[in-house]
Amino acid sequence: MALFNVLVVDDEQEFRDMTIKRLSKRDIIAEGAENGEMAIERIKRGDIDVVLLDVKMPGMGGVATLREIKQIKPLIEVVMLTGHASVESGIDGMKLGAFDYLMKPMEFESLLEKLSEAYERKRIQQDKIEQAQIKRDMARPS
Amino acid sequence: MNNKKMYYSRLRRGLISAFFIFILVPTLFVSWVTIYNLRKCAIQRIENSGVRMAEDRTDAVSQYLNKQIILLSTLAGMYPIKIMGDQPHLDQLFRSVNERGDVVDLHVIDSAGKQLAYVGPYRSSIEGKNYKDAPWFKEAMVAGKHVSDVFMGYRNVPHLVVAVTDPLKTYVFRATINSEKFNALLLRAQTGPSGDAYIVNRHGEFQTPSLQGTIELAAAEKNLLEYHEGTSTRTIGPFLYTSSWMKDGQWLLVVKSKISDSLGTFNERRNNSLMIITASSMLFLGAAVLLCRYMVGRLEQDDRRRADMDQQMVQVEKMASIGRLAAGIAHEINNPLQMITNQAGWIEELLPDEDPEAVKNLGEYQDAVTKIKYHVRRAGTITHRLLGFSRRMSAEKESVSVNELLEETVSFVENEAVNHNIIIEQLLDKNLPTTMTDGPQLQQVFLNLLNNCLDAVEQNGRITITTKADDTSISIEFADSGPGISAEVMKQIFDPFFTTKDPGKGTGLGMSICYDIMKKLGGKIEVKNNKVGGAIFTLTLPLKHLSESGQGDRRTSGYDESIY
Repeated sequence: MALFNVLVVDDEQEFRDMTIKRLSKRDIIAEGAENGEMAIERIKRGDIDVVLLDVKMPGMGGVATLREIKQIKPLIEVVMLTGHASVESGIDGMKLGAFDYLMKPMEFESLLEKLSEAYERKRIQQDKIEQAQIKRDMARPS
Repeated sequence: MNNKKMYYSRLRRGLISAFFIFILVPTLFVSWVTIYNLRKCAIQRIENSGVRMAEDRTDAVSQYLNKQIILLSTLAGMYPIKIMGDQPHLDQLFRSVNERGDVVDLHVIDSAGKQLAYVGPYRSSIEGKNYKDAPWFKEAMVAGKHVSDVFMGYRNVPHLVVAVTDPLKTYVFRATINSEKFNALLLRAQTGPSGDAYIVNRHGEFQTPSLQGTIELAAAEKNLLEYHEGTSTRTIGPFLYTSSWMKDGQWLLVVKSKISDSLGTFNERRNNSLMIITASSMLFLGAAVLLCRYMVGRLEQDDRRRADMDQQMVQVEKMASIGRLAAGIAHEINNPLQMITNQAGWIEELLPDEDPEAVKNLGEYQDAVTKIKYHVRRAGTITHRLLGFSRRMSAEKESVSVNELLEETVSFVENEAVNHNIIIEQLLDKNLPTTMTDGPQLQQVFLNLLNNCLDAVEQNGRITITTKADDTSISIEFADSGPGISAEVMKQIFDPFFTTKDPGKGTGLGMSICYDIMKKLGGKIEVKNNKVGGAIFTLTLPLKHLSESGQGDRRTSGYDESIY
């Protein structure tokens, strides 16, 4: 499995810690953010490939955070996490560019699979952009 | 229910009474006034006719008497006393003037009252009599002519006389009027079987016999003797009296008629009118009763429908509330479930790192973790179903998978079925298409039918649910192994408030609501008894595709797939 950076954004510390621990066990670099604001701060510093984003959080909600992420780092893939009857929020998130959404309770394998798929897409997108850049550079007269 | 029936019955009676009071009573009053006026008119006509008759008879009697006076006066003017007192001459004169028999006899009396000649049937009893003291003689000598009242005289027979004198008053020429002919003048004045006509003098003594045989005026009738000009009409008791004074106010001619005798035509018309009024009133009342019954019936029907709809609304609200509650519970449970599954997963991941030799119960731990994960999955399925249910409670038309909806509904009653040892068998068509419909409402029908089936089976039985589809519709069959439905119950099974359950156990609205919902969804519900026992409810739902409704499809199961 390719190594990539995941940012787990959830207000529940236990969930955050456990998810980070399990991802790390699979050599995925995982970090946590308690809320939307902290997540944005961390993303701005770079090196994040996929964000696991809880929809319902105090302060800046999941959907607002997603909107912000897509503005500052459009390439970062976001997997939404809905814990209750806010399926609509998950769907709204997908309309705003989220990769997919997951409903709690979910098994870790599902989460892992979804995150990997998200990273895979991000990587493909990034490759396309880089190749386009190389083409442009090569086309430029030296 | 009984109160409602009493209310409608009261309403019906009230409306009919109102019709009766506000329309029929005025009609009857107007009819009565009309009949009363008609009677007055009829009586007026009788009065007019009485007046004409009295005047006519007064003229006839006066003319009759005048004729006699003129005849006698002419003869008295023609013959002096010497000739007139001659018996053979008077005999001859009597024969020649009395061809019609108007007089009974003729007298010639000199101025001293001595009878000179007489011709007539009473010769023996009056021959040689002197009349100088007789009132009629005196009157005649004074006035030259006189018509007497009826009196007995020497002959002792009631009679009336006409007496005149010759121009020199040397004799009085007297004729006794033939009573039969005179009385006959009044015969024509009789109206009806109880009618009467007679002449009385100022003292009320009968001058002509009463046609009804009356010999004396009744006390009330004596009021008629008050003098009046012309013809007077008066009602005494059931009789109408028309009277006219004649003979210089000495005689009163009375025409008496019984009002009821003369009202024949009126009575006939009145009876006809009454018959028409009664018939039309009955007709009207009948129509009013029918109209009232119809109107109250409609009202009752509308009220029932409204009550039915209210019940449905309550039911839908209830389901929506349950939905909200379910969503809340799901929310509260999902987070801890996530933590449990995470922790179990972490243990599962760490266990292989342990030394199998050092960990005595490694296998048990792994088994326990697997079971924890399995049960979390089970709990997750339940919370997701609750969420799905909650979402659909507020949804309108959506693309519904009837099979999934059925499976979900069955899961609601599964425990109850297991407790009663009832097997719910689902023979669902795997290729059943989805259809655009109102999921929550349809689910309510499923739930009602399933509950009914469970109630019918009671214990140890089977409920078989079958789905199939053709090009235009989906049919869902609920067959139970209960006792089936009697013909009596079958007739009323979809009626509102009809229930076979014990009081307080059923509202009697379940089946009625199912019927209404299926109608609203454009489908139908049918019931029949299964040949092998039990009842079969068949729902038919029209097959509508997404394009027909214009609404977007929803992912009803997509997230389930994305979770596990």
